[in-house]
Amino acid sequence: SSYPYLRSPPSSSRFYFFMKWALQSPPPASRIFNHNIYILPTQYPMSHRRRGVGAARAGAKAYTKKAEEMNAVSLARAMETVEKLEVKLEGFAKTHKHEIQHDPAFRAKFLEMCAPLGVDPLSAEKGFWGNMLGIGEFYYELSVKVAEVCLASRSRNGGIIRVSEVKDILTQRGTKFKFADSKNKSSYSEEDIVTSVKKLSKLGSGFRTVEVGKSMMIVSVPEELDDDHMKVMDLAEENRCGAYGVVTVKGVTAELGWDHDRAKRALELLLGKGMAWLDAVGAEKYYWFPR
Amino acid sequence: MTATIPDSFKFPDFYNFPPFFTIQPVLATREKQLGQWRELILRYHTDLKIKTLVLHECPLWKNPKIERELTGDEIRLVMDDFVTSGHGEWEDPQTRTRCRILWRKPEQLASDIYDWAVSNGYVNSVCTVFELHSGEDVNGMSFQGADEELLRRALGILESQGKCALFRGDTSSEDGIKFF
Repeated sequence: SSYPYLRSPPSSSRFYFFMKWALQSPPPASRIFNHNIYILPTQYPMSHRRRGVGAARAGAKAYTKKAEEMNAVSLARAMETVEKLEVKLEGFAKTHKHEIQHDPAFRAKFLEMCAPLGVDPLSAEKGFWGNMLGIGEFYYELSVKVAEVCLASRSRNGGIIRVSEVKDILTQRGTKFKFADSKNKSSYSEEDIVTSVKKLSKLGSGFRTVEVGKSMMIVSVPEELDDDHMKVMDLAEENRCGAYGVVTVKGVTAELGWDHDRAKRALELLLGKGMAWLDAVGAEKYYWFPR
Repeated sequence: MTATIPDSFKFPDFYNFPPFFTIQPVLATREKQLGQWRELILRYHTDLKIKTLVLHECPLWKNPKIERELTGDEIRLVMDDFVTSGHGEWEDPQTRTRCRILWRKPEQLASDIYDWAVSNGYVNSVCTVFELHSGEDVNGMSFQGADEELLRRALGILESQGKCALFRGDTSSEDGIKFF
């Protein structure tokens, strides 16, 4: 039978069909292994039943051995299936190379598919995935650009920046990538940026992503932001005035239920790190978080 | 009486960030902030070709859109930093109310002038101070329309570097410069 997904438009159903097709021919012996592994004594020759208790114990040993054998065969079968799947995956990637390289939504789904199979198309520089798809290179390029933006903005925001802002800056710059079309400037998504930062953090660079409220942020400073600071930044995210988040000591004590000292300490520390700026209006003090 | 800001002037993003109008207590952040103020003051006066900043007439200290302004002390701090950086000079160092804005630092002007002289073949020949700021050859150069006082400063630097010599003319504009 032909591949139904080749003719249908890009959608998640394509992946469903792929998986269904890839798994359509289970190994013939699998029927046995789907059920309980232990073989019932009745399936052994009648001579076993006539023996006494000691014989039963010896029988039990034989059952365990058989069970292990069947476990091993089951495992081998499973691995065979996985290998088959990998081959199918490689074929799929070859056929849909263009979409994977140029369509961020498609690419995200594809990576989702690879993950449970233990296939990481991003890490292999050489070999099938690196050479054929080259998306490892794409993420490498992207992570370098993301790092540039983060480092350039560090003096402004103290080393923490929203993923959406990084994307805006890169889009404004008209940054071109190996696979970016001239017509489709944003052929990389926020998800791609997050993935590339994950790659960066694996290299031990101190870059990492962190969720603050509903936004995903990239932190590029090695200092640990503890829970209190994250909570304050959460609050600031929720209390945006225009493009900036803002809080007061009073606001923090009211919303988070802390005492005055704790609130002040957290805000002073964020000020000290350069992540917040002070706005003194008369006797009032506002703490702003720059974009 | 404060001057009004023409609509054509494009304000940078940080001008609408309220903390910009509070001198930051954290020194590292303050450094960045003062850098931003220097940049703003210089660009404003250079773009609009304003030669002197009169403290109490300058419209930059207040942003009515976000209801923020610098206090008198904060203005002093910003201006002292500005002058220290070499982009401005007090006309009245005692009272410090009028500041001459050096659109380009004399050293920068000096090297610009010399480069222009070399590329236009003025080496070993003479041109006047007037030609430097209003001549036909200087279109687009940084010293076009520059203050004579400023030009003299730049030329003084070139003289001390041995790259030119000044001759007295009938009027100060007709002073001659010979480039080496």
